[in-house]
Amino acid sequence: MLLLSALAGIAVVFALGVLLSKDNFYSALYMAATLVFVATVYAFFNLQPVFVLILFVFVGAIGIVTVALAATYRSDPERQVSALWAVPIFITALVIGSSVCSHIVFNPQPVSSSAIEFELMNFIPLTEYMLLVVFLISLVVLLLLSVLKMSSVGGRS
Amino acid sequence: MVAMDIISVSIIYVAAFAILLIGYLAAVSSKDVIRLLISLEMMFGAIFMALIPLFSVAHLTNTAFGIALVTIFASSGELLILICAITMLDLQKRDIHTSSITIGGDEL
Repeated sequence: MLLLSALAGIAVVFALGVLLSKDNFYSALYMAATLVFVATVYAFFNLQPVFVLILFVFVGAIGIVTVALAATYRSDPERQVSALWAVPIFITALVIGSSVCSHIVFNPQPVSSSAIEFELMNFIPLTEYMLLVVFLISLVVLLLLSVLKMSSVGGRS
Repeated sequence: MVAMDIISVSIIYVAAFAILLIGYLAAVSSKDVIRLLISLEMMFGAIFMALIPLFSVAHLTNTAFGIALVTIFASSGELLILICAITMLDLQKRDIHTSSITIGGDEL
């Protein structure tokens, strides 16, 4: 309990660093540290496959690209915060609060880690699994082609 | 162990909400698209954290893993596209400030 609180607390402190830092580069570094601690909470609950995925794919690939980009475009931006954003924040707080309350009311049955089979095959049938893989690959190819087209249009203009 | 008591679930949800809130604040106070990208990644981090309690429900564990897997790859793809868009914006406008974007969005 104490370790979980410490991990979650450190993640929030690093997240505050993102907000308070005026330099994009340090903000990106704080963001990467926040995501590492979020992934560590998964490791704390013995969910290593998700921990590895978040660390390698999200922090390792996307996070490092963001840090590199932020290092390229270091700046000292001005801040602007509208009070109207308090409304969606309040609604989000209500949704999360109601989900915590529903957990208390319905009290779902806990499960041991050995009962989890880390296979997408059990999530969906094999044919749909292959369809999903083909769909995701097609999506990535289409997105990359659209980026290539955009860059060729941008290069001409 | 994935078995969680209500205090652990509460800690996770409160931390996820705090990170999401900080992500929102960073997004609305950002003046350049790099900070916008960073705040979006923070929001995705909060979503990943909010997914953890799903693994504690017996009949939702495999579904939770499937959701986590799809979420990680979908969000990574989305952020890669955003990074490409930032590069394109710099290429075309020679500026990465959000004020240089004149198409789409809303004004508060």
